[in-house]
Amino acid sequence: MAEATTNGSNPIVIRVENVGKSYTRGRETVEVLSGLNLEIEKGAYEALMGPSGSGKSTLLNLIAGLDKPTKGRVVVDGVDLGALSEGERAKWRASNVGFVFQSYNLLPVLTALENTELPLLLTNLSSSERKTRAQTALRVVGLEDRMGHRPDQLSGGQQQRVSIARAIVTDPRLIVADEPTGDLDRQSADEILLLLEKLNSELGKTILMVTHDPAAAERAHRIRRLNKGALQ
Amino acid sequence: MTLTTVAVKNIGRNMFRTILTMLGVVVAMMAFLLLRTVISSWLMGVELAAKDRVATRHKVTFIMTLPKRYVDDVAAVPGVKEVAHFNWFGAKLAGKEDVFFGNMATDPESFLRVYDEIVVPEDQKKNWLANRQGALVGSALAKQVGLKVGDKITMKGTIFPGDWPMTVEGIYTTTRKSIDQSTLWFHYKYLNESPVLTPPMKNQVGWIVAKIKNANDAASITQKIDAMFDTRDVQTLSMSEGAMNASFMSMFATMLKAIDLVSFVILIIMMLILGNTIAMGTRERTHEYGVLRAIGFMPKHLAFFVLGEATVIGLVGGIFGVAFAYFMVNNGMGAAIEENSGGMFLYFRMKESDAVMGLFIATGIAALAAAVPAYRASKLNVIDALRRVA
Repeated sequence: MAEATTNGSNPIVIRVENVGKSYTRGRETVEVLSGLNLEIEKGAYEALMGPSGSGKSTLLNLIAGLDKPTKGRVVVDGVDLGALSEGERAKWRASNVGFVFQSYNLLPVLTALENTELPLLLTNLSSSERKTRAQTALRVVGLEDRMGHRPDQLSGGQQQRVSIARAIVTDPRLIVADEPTGDLDRQSADEILLLLEKLNSELGKTILMVTHDPAAAERAHRIRRLNKGALQ
Repeated sequence: MTLTTVAVKNIGRNMFRTILTMLGVVVAMMAFLLLRTVISSWLMGVELAAKDRVATRHKVTFIMTLPKRYVDDVAAVPGVKEVAHFNWFGAKLAGKEDVFFGNMATDPESFLRVYDEIVVPEDQKKNWLANRQGALVGSALAKQVGLKVGDKITMKGTIFPGDWPMTVEGIYTTTRKSIDQSTLWFHYKYLNESPVLTPPMKNQVGWIVAKIKNANDAASITQKIDAMFDTRDVQTLSMSEGAMNASFMSMFATMLKAIDLVSFVILIIMMLILGNTIAMGTRERTHEYGVLRAIGFMPKHLAFFVLGEATVIGLVGGIFGVAFAYFMVNNGMGAAIEENSGGMFLYFRMKESDAVMGLFIATGIAALAAAVPAYRASKLNVIDALRRVA
């Protein structure tokens, strides 16, 4: 495993240039990231670690287009995310980023299939195409026999797999995972990490994962450590 | 699956709360529609009035009387076919003092000619005409107070003091709704020739009703009647029967306005119930909305989910509320009110147009109640929403 190196031969897909991010809370301005530079190659599987408050999630949000930097630029696949409006970033996220959250965040009233299909409602695909794609995504994560189950009928690991299916159903280039194993037992966590490896190695997805769990980080091809808003 | 499906499925998220909210809408709609029906039924007397009858009363007020000789003068006006006259008696039936019903003195023969929609069996009619102390009772009133032909009754006078013994000589029904079946009619002579009445109360009538040959001449005939009495000791005010009914009902205008106001207060309460439920739901789902925004849903989609959910709750609640109210009023309750309202409601039925309006109102109010929560959901900051504990 190599740490914080960018010596591969793949093209750079994520470029973070001198990025700073600060938040204003009342009269106080908190600087979370400062002068941060980062490049991630296409098809990379990287883990972002660091203590609480180090700015991991903030950096992940900037790369995923959820937020804009206060200073500098975040360029993903040639798109300067800071230059996009909120609506443009939403559209960009819908087709370019798959999200995996710690607490799965599935809609409790929808089945696994419907939850997976959810992002496709924003596309122009027909109903049958959407269904076929959602079924395929669930097959990829090994839940073809749980398509009609609602989240409360699935285990934590299964729910996280549904959330991964939802993340890949639009065939995004980038998958961002924020503590994807944080709510899981060891065995379920291993299954999820194996699945992420498979998405990276077999489908060529670029994966950026924020984690506190050293065992999870070890599964990534590269670990970047963040402390007080700066990469170490 | 569509965006609408998602909005509709969200209703099942907290079924207990959804059912309670829908029940709130159902009850509110039922109350609203019942009150609207009270108002529209009250005003129905104007719509149901005969077009070929005109009424003449004292120019100042309904309560003041006209000289009896005016009856013949009205009958002589060209275009007038028959004339009847009435005195409000306002007595109570002994033993049933709590039951309100109209009781009036009239000339039986002319009355039955002017109100030809009244149906009385021939033998009963004959007996009523022959007995000066005879009473003709509406079938609904007879049923309500348990009267039958031949019964001896005592009317306890309020305006005209004393006990007024009478015999029920006939029970009438009607072929049209232009007159109620909850009134007691008796001979004018019985009243006018009573020692209770002393001048100037003698030979007075409350109002005169003329049946005219051509309904289209109603306006000109009323003008002629009033012009005729313009220079006499007592001036008159003549109008169509519908206008007369409206003028009678205007005495209750304040009450109708109060009912009107209460019906709208009910809608406001319904909106608050819905608004509270929707606001609670959106607050609980802040984190989820953050997730939806993260995966590409736009603010308008979130607003659609909130509005869609509220609208469906309003629509479903509205459908049940309207259905229950319609079924209740038009299958039993309406008829019971018509029979027991003392002639206040000639026709108590919910109109189809009110039912449809109820559905639109329930749905519209639900959407209105969700407007603020929908706006707030659409304005959520993605990062803040994702940070919110689910």
